[in-house]
Amino acid sequence: MLTAVKNQVRVCALSVKYNVMREMLNKVTFLTNILFMMFNNATFIVQWVILLRLRDDVGGYTMREVMLLWALAASSFGLSRILFARVFSLPDLIINGKLDSYLVQPKNVLLSVMTSETNTSAIGDLLYGLLIFCVFCFQVKRLLLFLLFTVTGAILMTAFALLMGSLSFWFVRAEMFGNHMVGSVTSFNTYPDGIFRGTARFLLYNVIPVGMMTYHPVHIMVEFDAAKMLMVFGYLFLLSAAAVFVFYRGLRRYSSSSLMEARM
Amino acid sequence: MKVIEAEELSKHFLVKQKEKGMKGSIKAIFCPQTEEIKAVDKVSFGVEEGEVLAFIGPNGAGKSTTIKMLTGILYPDGGRVEVLGIDPVKKRKQLAYQIGTVFGQKEQLWTHLTPYDNFRFFGAIYDLSGGETEKRIAELADIFELADFINTPVRNLSLGQRIRCEIAASLIHKPKVLFLDEPTIGLDPVVKENIRMLIRQMNRELHTTIFLTSHDIGDIEKLCKRIVIVNSGQIVMDDSMEHLKYHYLNKKIVEVKLQEETELPPMEGITIRKRKGRHVRFEVDTSVMKINDALRSVDAEHVEDINISNIPLENIIMEIYQSEGRADGL
Repeated sequence: MLTAVKNQVRVCALSVKYNVMREMLNKVTFLTNILFMMFNNATFIVQWVILLRLRDDVGGYTMREVMLLWALAASSFGLSRILFARVFSLPDLIINGKLDSYLVQPKNVLLSVMTSETNTSAIGDLLYGLLIFCVFCFQVKRLLLFLLFTVTGAILMTAFALLMGSLSFWFVRAEMFGNHMVGSVTSFNTYPDGIFRGTARFLLYNVIPVGMMTYHPVHIMVEFDAAKMLMVFGYLFLLSAAAVFVFYRGLRRYSSSSLMEARM
Repeated sequence: MKVIEAEELSKHFLVKQKEKGMKGSIKAIFCPQTEEIKAVDKVSFGVEEGEVLAFIGPNGAGKSTTIKMLTGILYPDGGRVEVLGIDPVKKRKQLAYQIGTVFGQKEQLWTHLTPYDNFRFFGAIYDLSGGETEKRIAELADIFELADFINTPVRNLSLGQRIRCEIAASLIHKPKVLFLDEPTIGLDPVVKENIRMLIRQMNRELHTTIFLTSHDIGDIEKLCKRIVIVNSGQIVMDDSMEHLKYHYLNKKIVEVKLQEETELPPMEGITIRKRKGRHVRFEVDTSVMKINDALRSVDAEHVEDINISNIPLENIIMEIYQSEGRADGL
């Protein structure tokens, strides 16, 4: 059992390594993708600096919390897309029957699929998140929590994208719905939760996993709260289990195809 | 000993149907209609250890669907299947350690990596140690003559070189059964012949069972001892190549060029296929009359040129494709 896990991890690590090697083939594109993503993210700081000069806080968030929010959102999103970028294009694999090569391998299909692509610009997101954290919010204890929540956030993001993507096993048109849902995570991730009320707040904490990805973690990093910590881990476990269950149920409906394709 | 056993294996797909035009598109949103397609319909067959089997049929006959069920890619809707005594549905991973697959239309190699790096990756997938993988790469490079391009990125290789690498990669773990789905598609005749030679060698030396689908009659004729023909999801023929030839090659094509236009007398067992001026092509059913009796019907003094040939295997297979339900007939 332990050897099987070790071998699986070895294959996943090799897969990520080869993905990065592929991205690095074009040095200039590789570096500019990372740098421009960092610049792109940085432009939003200006927006928040102006906004927080006009008023003391927005939805209960001062500059420190806003930067924590941005840092965590960027790093979680970045880590998810560095390691598991293929999850975000899962509908394409399902609809066009591109899972065959993973299904004939004696390894976990889901992990093999998830780790088969890397997004270069996501490296920029991860670096940006770490940089913002170090510049605006650095504390040793907080850094440990930040790293932990980057991992939980990346898993939540991936699990949610997996859940949405797996709907394509049943409905071809679910691709668009899933993309919107995953996109909404990214959009809501960078706004203080205090500005949302009623149904929107309920959705963000229960349906779209933004509350558990960034809002609760930011609150915990500002003031430690064991109950919130438990909620994050509980939600993480439930969402991941649901996503894996739905993927494997859907896989029984997979119908492959005879399209010509290459593993690029 | 049977390494592949399929009993009443079935797979159906629901395919959406839409009426033509915009009206049809709108109607399909509110009342979608589907049609059930029987891709594989209660197919039963077995493959012996070390056998080279051709599993052929026209497009959409159910060949690839069957292979995908045998390899654990697709879940059957009905029936039972076992490969090397393993149920692909329940123990896909366990089975994957013992089989190899090559899909001619789908590359499994990473195109930006060299074949060597790909083989290392495949070695890791099949849990081979670094030393074992190196040893195996050296063996495969020798058998498949990969030395000249083993360190060239796959995307820079020719199609023939790529297919050689695909097959080599699928053999890294010494599979007992190899599934080849149109392995020679798009290759030129020389490369095709090389690939066939390698497959033969593999079967002879490693005793690997080969399950082959191909539209190339050359692949089937030169590699396979047994042929299973499927059409519309059902087996229409399952026989040895020898029997196939014995039953179907009882017809000869005779092409004659005469010195002057002459009418051939009508005879039982002779069917005129084409006549153009002094050229005549006729088919002789050798089960009805001997070929030399047929030749006597042509006045030898007026023959300028003559050619006798078998009916191409391609034509025979086409004839079988078109005659469903002949499995019992042979």
